[in-house]
Parts: sequence; structure tokens; C-alpha cells
Amino acid sequence: MGNKQTIFTAQQLDAYQISCHSILKLYIFLTFPRLFYRYRDLAPQLVPLDYTNHPDVKLPYELIGSMPELKDNPFRQRIAEVFSEDGEGNMTLDDFLDMFSVLSEMAPRDLKAYYAFKIYDFNNDDFICKSDLEKTLNKLTRNELTEDEVRMVCEKVIDEADLDNDGRLSLEDFQHMIVRAPDFLSTFHIRI
Amino acid sequence: EQDLVKEFVALSTRDRIRAIRDLPMSFEEKKHIRLLSQFFRRCGYSIRSARQTLELWQGIMKEIGGKFGTSVLSYFVFLKWLLMFNIFSFLVNFGFITIPLLVYDPLPNIPPNVSFRGLEILTGAGYFNHTVMYYGGYSNETLVGLVEYNMQLAYFFTIAVYMVLCGLALIFSMARSFKTNYVLAESTSNGAWQLLCSWDFSITNERAVRQRKSNLRVQLKESLSEKAQMELLTLSEKLKHFGVHLGSWLLSTGLAVGCGASIYYLCQYEQQEAETLLVPFVVSLMNLVVPLFYSLFYKFEHYSSQRTQIYALVVRNVLLRMSILGVLCFYWMNVVAKKFSCWESRVGQALYRLVIVDFLFLMLGSFFGEFLSNVIGTRLLPRLGVPEFDIARNVLELIYAQTLAWIGIYFSPLLPAIQIVKFFILFYLKKVSLTQNCQPPRRTGRAAQMHTTFIALLFFPFFVGALSMVAYTSWSLTPSEQCGPFRGLNNTFSVVGVWIDDLEEIPGSQWVVWIYQHVIRSELFYFLITLIILVIMYIFWQVTQGRKDLIGLLRQQIVNVSV
Repeated sequence: MGNKQTIFTAQQLDAYQISCHSILKLYIFLTFPRLFYRYRDLAPQLVPLDYTNHPDVKLPYELIGSMPELKDNPFRQRIAEVFSEDGEGNMTLDDFLDMFSVLSEMAPRDLKAYYAFKIYDFNNDDFICKSDLEKTLNKLTRNELTEDEVRMVCEKVIDEADLDNDGRLSLEDFQHMIVRAPDFLSTFHIRI
Repeated sequence: EQDLVKEFVALSTRDRIRAIRDLPMSFEEKKHIRLLSQFFRRCGYSIRSARQTLELWQGIMKEIGGKFGTSVLSYFVFLKWLLMFNIFSFLVNFGFITIPLLVYDPLPNIPPNVSFRGLEILTGAGYFNHTVMYYGGYSNETLVGLVEYNMQLAYFFTIAVYMVLCGLALIFSMARSFKTNYVLAESTSNGAWQLLCSWDFSITNERAVRQRKSNLRVQLKESLSEKAQMELLTLSEKLKHFGVHLGSWLLSTGLAVGCGASIYYLCQYEQQEAETLLVPFVVSLMNLVVPLFYSLFYKFEHYSSQRTQIYALVVRNVLLRMSILGVLCFYWMNVVAKKFSCWESRVGQALYRLVIVDFLFLMLGSFFGEFLSNVIGTRLLPRLGVPEFDIARNVLELIYAQTLAWIGIYFSPLLPAIQIVKFFILFYLKKVSLTQNCQPPRRTGRAAQMHTTFIALLFFPFFVGALSMVAYTSWSLTPSEQCGPFRGLNNTFSVVGVWIDDLEEIPGSQWVVWIYQHVIRSELFYFLITLIILVIMYIFWQVTQGRKDLIGLLRQQIVNVSV
């Protein structure tokens, strides 16, 4: 499980790459600026216009989390943490591009599933265990379920989705779950 | 090295840097790989966001998705898709049929006693009757300008190619949608596992987030209590449910048939000018009122799941619309075609009126359906609450409107222009009505599958129906002798025969003639084609069955291995 490179097969990566090579040269100058300016508008005084020397600029989480696309999302902090290089939600331009490309509608299912899994895996142990589920549940229901109900829901989720019966959800379990929920592709999507 | 780059592109920056650091390579090579993978990643993103920039109404879509979630957004996506469809069909028809005629003869030959009076915009008769709006306005000549342009052939092939392209586009989008949304999708929808994949990340509105959270809480509580409530129904209760279902199905089918019959009798009183609006008015009124009546049924019926209930409602509404449209088509083919001298234009006018009146009723519908129930829900009967946007009803209205345009394409080639305006206004109207009057839907999920169902519905009864109507017209009915491109021919299709006869005299085109005589005109060819398609379908069906079994086995194996 630990080795992340085996999560994607060569074929899946190929499928992800096809769009890259063909029309690339035509569009790159047209559209890259748009997202760059979104990033820069968050802190014009910090982000330079000239990126040729690869300046080491990071925007703090407070700025990223206040974007209108994220500010009401219950998972905003997790999203920023997962995609940021330092794991604390402070983002470089690269991280920023990564985030919105995975959350765009064109990202393939497995890539989305992989990052959704990481978002729900609050303690970064590569498994969604009961404590992770409880955190998710509290974020999603405004702490309005009783402790008993929370426990029951968590047990039920694990009971229904845990295929290898180890009492926690691995990435494979999660991917299997995603395949059964066709709406996931359209809901794990942030329009920018 | 290429493989490495590919692998790294898919990883996040952190993983990528970590992975690259671990590679057994020199510093230079590592740097090279890092830059390359960064570059490709950015390119991939650029292309995707370029596509988004070019899309129409991107901002509005984002706003709707942010406030109401993906399921309501799917209605607007569908509306936009239909709009694009109509823009394409307008360009094709206008470009290949109308422009050549206008270049050759720019002024419509209008009799001196006919003038534009304003009522025509509603009735489509009078002044419009002599313009390129309808079939009757086109000539049957070969236009001789810079090149020779045979109007008959142009008209026939444009409509034929357009219909074929429409069919192909529908089949492909239906197949793609089925592939992503139905394969492996679970049939039971309210398991607790949906907790992790049901949150709609596109919602960006604070109120909507709050509401969705409390809906989710209710849903989870329901799913917990469901196991407790799985009580068995007694036989008498089962019989009672069955009786109620049977009764409501009989009632709704009877109502649909009754509506069709009354339309047929109403058509007999075809009349002058303003009175012609009576039929489209009654048709639209039925389309507005009867579905409301149907939706009352669910107060008495008990369905096991909400999805079955929605599908039952959809099937009833489809039956209603099909019976009304079927009766109208029957009337046009059998009565109008024999009674009037320039009957194609008459049918075109009738369709024009249907399209216009339907538009007026769509506006009224969103007034009554959403605004009024909002007022009632907030002021008079707070028990009802703010209404939700009824996606099924609204999508059916769109499908019906599009069917009218498809039927009308032969009789009134410029009808898509009206349709474009109609959908364009409708988009803004629905957007305003939605944001002012409605609340986000309480139930989530199944949006993707509903969307697939809608495309399938659009294709199966409605497009196929319209196609067979147009095909019947051009194969079996005699075109009117006074007007239109096909005057003097036995049927529209014989224009191809005439053309082939002409071709015979041109050397080098013998193969076209041979194909026409031995392939297009032979029953054996169609018989063989049908046979081959059936065999292929059977084989694929078998393969699918085999794969289904295999999937079941593999699932079982996963469970077995892990125990």
C-alpha cells in the first residue's frame, strides 16, 4: 500500500495523458494565465508577475481557504492540506494548479478517487478508519447527531464498504465504492 | 524516461518530489524529469480550462451549481445541449436550403393583397406563408448562378442528412452516458456508504451548504431506522396497493387517450386566422394541467422507492404527450394532406403555432409552477414550504418542445431559428425563476442516472417518432402540386430516382447508378443488413451477460480472499 506509484496502472496514466500532447501548443498561451491570475489576485503583493526564475512563493492557507469556491466547503482545510506541498495548506502555484486540475471535470475517475480518499483520510495513515469517518460525519452534519448515531453510521459505512474485513477502508475499498456511485464524478468537482 | 515522466504527472507535487528524490539517477537527469512532468501537468490543466472558457454561460452554470447542486444543474446542461443542437440544425438548414434560394431570388413573391399585420407572429399564417419560413416558399427549379444548384436535391438531402446526424449524436451521447453511469452502478441507493461520495463539492453557497447538511442528517437517520422498519405487508395491504396502482394507471392512460381523442375532434373545426390558435392552446393547456393532476396521484399511491415514483410519473407524462402528438400527426397525414392544395405549409403553420403557444405556456408554467407555489408555500400554507425545482417535469417540457422542432423540420425548415430564441429566453427565465422561487432539492443522488434516462427518452419515443413521421411523409405521401420543391412528383423520395436518371447520361458515374439500383432499391439488401445487425446485437448481448457473471464472480472472490 505504501508505494504510491503502483496506484495507477500504466494504462490509466496513458488515458490521462492523451489530451496533453495533441492540442497543447495551441491552448497553452490562451488559458494558463486565467488560473495564474486567480492565484495572483489572492495576494498581488506576494506573487510576482514574472515566474521565469521559479520564485519560491507560497500563499498561506488563510488566503486559499477564503476563495469563494472554497470558503463554504466543509472540507476546505483538508483539500488545502492534501494538495499543498508542506501538508499544512500553504500553496505554491504548482499546488494550486494541481488542486483545480484534479477537481476539474476532466480528471479521470481514479485520480479523483485517489484525492478524495486522501481528503477523507484525516490522520494520513492511508486508511479511512472510524475516527476519520467520525470527523467526516461531524463536518457534514453540524454535530447534530448523537454519539450513538454517529457510531452506528460509522459502523454501517465500514460494514457496507469494507471488502477485506480489516475494520477500516483502504484505497481499494474506497475505489470500489466510488465505482458504484456514478454521481461522484460530477459532484467531486469545483467549477472555477 | 518517458514512462517515468508520465507516472509523475499524475502524482501531487509533494509525492512527485519525494518520488523523484528517491530515483537512482544523477542530479541533472532528475531535474530534467521534474521540469518535464511539471510542464505536462500544466498543459493538461490549460487545455481543460481552455475548454471551460469557451463554454457558454459558464458563470451562470457555476452560480446555479453553487446554489442548487449538481442535480438541478443537469437540467440547465441539458437545455444548453438542446440549444447547441438547434443552432447546428439552423446553420445546416439555413446554409444549404435558404441561402441558395435567397441569393437567387432575394425578394419573397408576396401577393399584393397580403401585408404584415402582427397577428402572424402568433399564428404563423398570412404573410409568413409566402416566405421561406415554410415548405411552400421554396422553388423546385435548378438555380443557375455561378454553379447549378438543384433545389429539390438540396432540400431532400439536407433534411435527410440532418436527421441521420441527429440520430447518431443522440445514440453516441446515450451510449457514453450509459457506459459511465449504469455499468456497475448499485441499484440500492440509500446505503450509509454514500456518506463518503455524496457530498457535492460544487456547492459554494453558504445557505445551500447548511441546508444540504441538514438534509444529509435526515437521510442518514432514515437509513439507520430503515432496518428497524422493514415490516412485511399483509396480503390485504398488498392487494390494496396493487388495486390503487392499477386504478391510477388505468385512470392516467384513459386520460391520455381521452385527451388525444378530444384533440382529434377539435381539429375538425379548422378555421380562419385567430381561431386557428384554439388547437395549440388546448394542447398546451392539457400539457400543463394534466401532469399536475398526475402528480396528485402520489398522495394515494405507495411506491417502495422515490425513484420508482419518479419513473412512473415520467412514463405517464410521456404517454400523454405521445398520444396527443400521435393524434395530431395522424390528422395531418390523413386529413390535411388530402384536403388542402398546399398542405405542407399548412402543417408547417400548425407546428409553428404549437411551438409558439408552447413557449407562452412554458413561461406561464414557470409562473404558476414555481412563483405561485412559492407564494402559497411562504404566505398561505407554510406547511408546504418553498417549492423544489421539479427536474422531471421541466425536462419533459424541453423534450416535448424539441420533438415539435424535429417534426417540423421538413415542413418548416427555419423552425430551429424560433427554437433557438425560445430556448435562449427559457434559459434566463428558468434561471431567474429558480433563484427567486425555489430551494435546493432535499434528496440527493441519482442525478447522473436521471440524465441518462432523459437522453434515452429524448431518443426513444420522441426522436424515433418524429423520424418515422418525416420518413412516412417523404416516402408515402404525394407532395402538393401547387407549391414547394417537390411539386409534380409522386413522392418526395422519387427525387433521387430522377437524379439517378440524369446521372446515367454522365460518363463515369455508372457506379452510383449501380449502387442505387442494386443496393438502395433492393429489399434483399435491407433484409441482409437487418439480419447482420440482429446477429451482432445478439453476440454483444451474450458478451455482456458473460461479463456480468464474471463481475459477480470476481466480487465474490474479493470477499472470499479477504475472509
